[in-house]
Amino acid sequence: MSQPPSGSPFARTEVRADGLAVVTVGGDWHLDDTLPSVVVRGDRVKVIAEGLGDFDSSLPAWLHAHGKNIRDLDLSDLPARLQSLVRMAEKAAFQDNDDEKLGFLEQFGTWGVESGSSWARAFEHIGHTALGFARMLVGRAKVNWADFSLQLQTAGVDALPIVALLGFLTGLIMAYVGLIQLRQVGATVYVANLVSLAMTREMGALMTGVIACGRTSTAFASQLGSMNVSQETDALRALGIQPVEYLALPRILAVTLMVPLLAVFATFVGVFGGMVVACAGDLSVEQYLTQAIRAIAFKSFLVGFLKSIAFGFIAAWAGCYRGAVAKRSALGVGEAATSAAVLGITLIVVSDALFAVIFNLFDL
Amino acid sequence: MDRLTFALPAGKILAIVGPSGCGKSTLMRALGGLDAPLGGTARLMGVDLAAADEAERQTILRRSGFLFQGAALFSSLTLRENIEMPMREFLRCPRKEMRQLAEYKLALVGLADAMDKLPSEISGGMAKRAGIARAMALDPDVIFLDEPSAGLDPMSSGRLDELILRLREAFGTTVVLVSHEIPSILRTADFCIYLDPETGTMGAYGPPKGFLQAGQPPKVHAFFSQARFD
Repeated sequence: MSQPPSGSPFARTEVRADGLAVVTVGGDWHLDDTLPSVVVRGDRVKVIAEGLGDFDSSLPAWLHAHGKNIRDLDLSDLPARLQSLVRMAEKAAFQDNDDEKLGFLEQFGTWGVESGSSWARAFEHIGHTALGFARMLVGRAKVNWADFSLQLQTAGVDALPIVALLGFLTGLIMAYVGLIQLRQVGATVYVANLVSLAMTREMGALMTGVIACGRTSTAFASQLGSMNVSQETDALRALGIQPVEYLALPRILAVTLMVPLLAVFATFVGVFGGMVVACAGDLSVEQYLTQAIRAIAFKSFLVGFLKSIAFGFIAAWAGCYRGAVAKRSALGVGEAATSAAVLGITLIVVSDALFAVIFNLFDL
Repeated sequence: MDRLTFALPAGKILAIVGPSGCGKSTLMRALGGLDAPLGGTARLMGVDLAAADEAERQTILRRSGFLFQGAALFSSLTLRENIEMPMREFLRCPRKEMRQLAEYKLALVGLADAMDKLPSEISGGMAKRAGIARAMALDPDVIFLDEPSAGLDPMSSGRLDELILRLREAFGTTVVLVSHEIPSILRTADFCIYLDPETGTMGAYGPPKGFLQAGQPPKVHAFFSQARFD
């Protein structure tokens, strides 16, 4: 067998007639070296040193890795310090980490229980929120009204630019796409009906709700999640104050109030966006506005307004819920923010579908 | 702080003690190269880290380890990945060997079964041990421990002290620690510095057991006598 360069770490194995596997280690072993690769098999293994020079933890780590599954590992011929370093890793056992590995069925069952717990936590949070609102109405809830004022500003007023931009572009795109078909049947005047009805009844509320999920839900989840990490919510509980009442209620109330107003604003801006396209060659401004006003019935406005209230509540609740159950780590706060947006948008779309069915039943 | 001058023999354990706000952690951060002193020099293994160039600084940092008060494990990495991180920065060996080394270091601190867990899934005591494993990842010549027993119950604190002593004995590492736990200091430290907040300098320096004896400055004796032990 060829010898490695002088000083390089080496290891070799041989199996004796009695079945004892002998591993010989030697050379200098350092962290930056590429270590020898050997296959150590058998229940009985003896490790000996030959020309062993300087070594750091790379050698005991190598021995620990290769000797893990050996039933009878004999290190008695090694230097005392090396034996001690290997034995330390085997003996170090503290009381507080004796996890058993779960089988597949147990893992599946655990997953099922955790999923059920997750739903239970969500319903529990909804219940606490409803209870908190009821206590607030009778003046018994401890609500942080400073947060309410702040959220009216951040979730409402500060969102005007993005709502205006997206509302305008939505109306513009709807008009543009609608005109492609309406021109073919010579009914371009109805583009005003298309845009105004769609914005009033559907798109104003839906788009504002989605913006609230992306902007406000994530912010709430991050804020409340960070408070969990720094134990501020625990401190509130220690003072007898419910975090849902103190932190979530003002946020939910502020957003539920502001989203309908933003939706109305988005609707107007969207109609204006449609007008920009429609009046570029097909209609006059007067024609467009007259058609738009005629098309919007009160019930369309009512439908859109009611939806926007619900969407605002959903967006705010999703953020507050995910923040409340966020894991206490930087990673957990990030995950909470992401899942708040996803949860909020999913619930908004599902509820929009339900609204469609309900309003259809009531002929709205 | 002013006029702090001391030398620590290699392989010994030094404890830095003093009332809250006296600058213990500030001193240790200056020694560890995390903060630059406002005046004077802090030399680690003969090198002034504040004035050193990047290559020299990296060489010294490679030979030292730091345990922060809250362990400061990276929350998005498993314990094994946390230990592998300094290895990836400073070593050029294959990933398989880094993994092997990380597993060994975690086994040394009794966390072999938790190596694939995230920091959020372990207790405070386990996090501290993982932090020590990360500080020891590259076989440092010196490690700095910032309040290693903070937040731990007395039994966990005692086990952590035993771990520090075992690691020092096995690897010959010099240990500098900041602590309020007088019983822990008496168990582990070879030398102790008492920082006096009033004068901003060393009130005393020597073996910690000596601080309980007569002849020490009154405030030093009073500070050490506060601890109740058998």
